[in-house]
Amino acid sequence: MAKILVADDSETILLLLRTRLELEGHEVETAADGEDVVTAVLRDPGAHALLLLDAMMPRKSGIDALRELRERGIETPALVVSAHADSRDDTDQSDLTISGYIAKPIDFDNLFTKITELTS
Amino acid sequence: MKKGRLRLSPSLANRLTIGFAIAFAALTGMAVIGVARFLEQRQDFEDATARSYQLEIDARSRLARGEDPRAARSAVVSEQRQRQVLRDEITADTRDTALLVGAGLIAGLTGAALLFTGLIASMRRPLEDLVEASGRLAGGDLETRVAVGGLAETAALGGAFNEMAAELQRRAGERDQLDRMKDEFVLTASHELRSPLTSVQGFAELLLLERERLSPKQAETVEVILDNTRHLVRLLNDLLDLARSDAGRLTIRREPAAAAGLIEDAVRAMRGQIEARGQALGLEIEPGLPEVEADRDRIRQVLVNLLTNANEYCPEGASIGVKARRLDADVEIEVIDDGPGIPAQQLEHIFERFTRGDAGETQRVGGTGLGLAISKSLVELHGGSIEAESTAGRGATFRVRLPAIGSAGPTVTHPTTAAEAS
Repeated sequence: MAKILVADDSETILLLLRTRLELEGHEVETAADGEDVVTAVLRDPGAHALLLLDAMMPRKSGIDALRELRERGIETPALVVSAHADSRDDTDQSDLTISGYIAKPIDFDNLFTKITELTS
Repeated sequence: MKKGRLRLSPSLANRLTIGFAIAFAALTGMAVIGVARFLEQRQDFEDATARSYQLEIDARSRLARGEDPRAARSAVVSEQRQRQVLRDEITADTRDTALLVGAGLIAGLTGAALLFTGLIASMRRPLEDLVEASGRLAGGDLETRVAVGGLAETAALGGAFNEMAAELQRRAGERDQLDRMKDEFVLTASHELRSPLTSVQGFAELLLLERERLSPKQAETVEVILDNTRHLVRLLNDLLDLARSDAGRLTIRREPAAAAGLIEDAVRAMRGQIEARGQALGLEIEPGLPEVEADRDRIRQVLVNLLTNANEYCPEGASIGVKARRLDADVEIEVIDDGPGIPAQQLEHIFERFTRGDAGETQRVGGTGLGLAISKSLVELHGGSIEAESTAGRGATFRVRLPAIGSAGPTVTHPTTAAEAS
């Protein structure tokens, strides 16, 4: 199973995501904010099968991290987790390749379906 | 500048008085001078004529007496000529006087006319400006102001108008700011509450994944945690929708969708929950139901809300029906139940926020009291309508109408959805 990079500023949510994803058999790496995401991806581009990014994080948001990675030509599929079900209305993300949005609270069945689609 | 009421100012009264005075003085002065001069000339003419007749009579008597007949004859002719000259003069004077009085009249009237025209003009422009500005203000342009000037009256009116507009703008600004703060608060609160709720719900679900290792009592406890978390999430979503609706920011993304498919989706999502209470769920979709221009998620939300209400307010064993048909240019979807119904006084306010069933009922039901208010906003955003019909004790019917696509043209049939419906 491919490695999934999960980013959220809440340790509790990181723990929850890691536990559920590992139970599904995925290898999980975590990041606390957008800066960590960029660093982790650039350290070993291609090591991650999927990015699961919280839209709003301090220092650097998931959206900004994704924008930076896309500008550097990294096309790893990304799912954006956001507090609002319709967060795509709030900021302009039309320039980013985003494979899907996941609303909080997370519907894990829906999340696992999307991950399977994107990583298989 | 605070003025209780508007009175005629000294400036306008003075101008009117002075205007009248000038006009009267001009008229009277010219008439008096003209008439006095004419009377004087008339007197002179009569005196001179009388003198001339006297001289002629004297000359004629000298002629009769035979004294210096040549000189006397010449005097008679001379006096006759003299009187002719006097008559011509007085005729000319009469004409001049008439002209003078006429000119006086014309000058006076013209002056008065000019004065009034000026006064009216100096009031008309500012008044017209005020009328226009009032129109703009009424139309919502709170930045509108008028130029203050001219007569004291119009200046006062203009000043009062500007003051009023500024006050309206200030209040609107305050209200907008309060609205923004409220929206901001709801958005922030909703965002901040979502992370902890995600954790609570996620870890409770995690516990249930190992249900076999929990005692029945523990499993039930976790179920209660999950139920309440879902309720909180629903409340949060409803509050967010409502805040957006109030701010005019509740948006929908419409695309053509088969009405039958939308209805079946909602019914599928609710079937388990309804059957869990031993309630029957019937579905009747007219074949060939047209497409509607709809935000799938939002219409699903509306239908799920109506079905949830029916499910929660009806007793176990009740029957709930969903019927859809084409009606004129619309697709009409009915959610019908045979539950306790809604009393008339509640039915009237059923689409207002926080209107709910009886206190006893709502304790048991536990909805948010916002679902129908949001459903109404959502259906109206789609250009549709929603209504409720009920007789206490004899069930309730909620009716949603959505405009059909191509309602003017022939009915479009969708074999797949029609097949699913049957």
